[in-house]
Amino acid sequence: MKKYAVYPGCVMPTEQYAYEMSIREIMPHLDIELVDLKGFSCCSEPIKSVNQMLTLALSARNIAIAEKEELDIFAPCPMCHLALSDCKRVLDTNLMMNKRVNSYLTDEGLKYTGTAEIVSILDLLHDIVGIDKIKEKVKKPLKDLKTATHYGCHLIRPSEIGRSDDAENPQKMENILKTIGAKPEYYPEKLDCCGALLTANLPESALTKTGQKLQRVQEQEFDAFIDTCPWCHRQYDSKQIKAGETVAAKLEVPVLYLTQLLGISMGIPKEKLGLNLNLSPIEKLNLGGKKT
Amino acid sequence: MTITDLTSMGESQTELKKEINERLQRLQDEISDYCYQCAKCTSGCEAHKLLELEPHKIVALLKKGLIDEMVNSDVIWTCMSCFKCRERCPQNVAPVEVLFALKNIAVASGQQIPGNYTAMLQSVLSMGLLQEVKNVLTRDNKTVSRTNLGLPEVSKPTDHTKFQMMLSKIAVEKV
Repeated sequence: MKKYAVYPGCVMPTEQYAYEMSIREIMPHLDIELVDLKGFSCCSEPIKSVNQMLTLALSARNIAIAEKEELDIFAPCPMCHLALSDCKRVLDTNLMMNKRVNSYLTDEGLKYTGTAEIVSILDLLHDIVGIDKIKEKVKKPLKDLKTATHYGCHLIRPSEIGRSDDAENPQKMENILKTIGAKPEYYPEKLDCCGALLTANLPESALTKTGQKLQRVQEQEFDAFIDTCPWCHRQYDSKQIKAGETVAAKLEVPVLYLTQLLGISMGIPKEKLGLNLNLSPIEKLNLGGKKT
Repeated sequence: MTITDLTSMGESQTELKKEINERLQRLQDEISDYCYQCAKCTSGCEAHKLLELEPHKIVALLKKGLIDEMVNSDVIWTCMSCFKCRERCPQNVAPVEVLFALKNIAVASGQQIPGNYTAMLQSVLSMGLLQEVKNVLTRDNKTVSRTNLGLPEVSKPTDHTKFQMMLSKIAVEKV
């Protein structure tokens, strides 16, 4: 069993509970042990616009907490994963910055050493657990569910610092979905941004971005829209009705986390996967045989 | 520890101006010369159609030294940081990073921080996370908490005094 410190970030553990529940539920079945550590803070990527040094320092601080326990880090949120990966790249290549950032950490008795590996949800599922193992665990394949994937910008860009899949043609979610019996299909808007980061200062525009993408997904008659980012999911699922209003459309697109769908295919009861927290019309899917 | 400390005012204006000017000079020297205004960044910009952000023009304005104009403009706050411009630039110029720098400079030079950024920053300062732990609604309109759902306590900084000491160091040294 491979062990990781799970770095929860902010949005997942303060409101996107379905993501956390489904992750905690499926990982032990896939021989991944998640270790909870005390003391983590925000990675600060969402407020990088205000102060980049803060982002670097807080990310280093979080990595250092896991390094102290000699653990690698699993960061389910793509935004956190980007912040931690970028911090690692900067501190591993820039000695001056490494020294400066480490000077901030001494009061808490922490030190960034660069020993921890930082993995994302796709690294973990697709590359570390692997497709073969997932295939073994599928008990209830999803019958030809026509799915649209949404990777989230931060999971795949900027590739220069090493991201989890190809920046222009990501396929790992598709590979996983095919393995569990779903039918992922390409759509031209696949790489469009959800706009979530504008929520801070231009919330209407953020919702418009969300609405525009979902409207196109609906027009192309997808059964479900699958994501892996708590920020994106909050836009597409939790705020779907509001997003629809911005584009004058009645949106009824079932939105699920990849980890929820994976759990369903593994035969895990839907209440353990937080399916009663999805606010989009997932009852349309008739998941797990019964009405959700 | 206040937001003002972490953003501006905390130190003498001359020192601050000097550091900002040096940073801008670096940006101008390192980045803008490579840009030949092909506008590939703008063609794929997520904020272009909706909010009229034109990353190639941001780089052009930087090259011309029209920095105050940009720092004082709302347009720098329309970037969604999708990183497509950085990904696609044939010259390895990263308009998104220029925008991050301009926003940091705007904040450091005492401009008002737009929207909810202040609240998020304040929350990180006071509890280490972007927002408080929330109760959420279920599909059948019941309010549930993390505990109801069987989730463990949220991880956050344990020694608050030390955590804030770290943040105040960053506030003093700055960008």
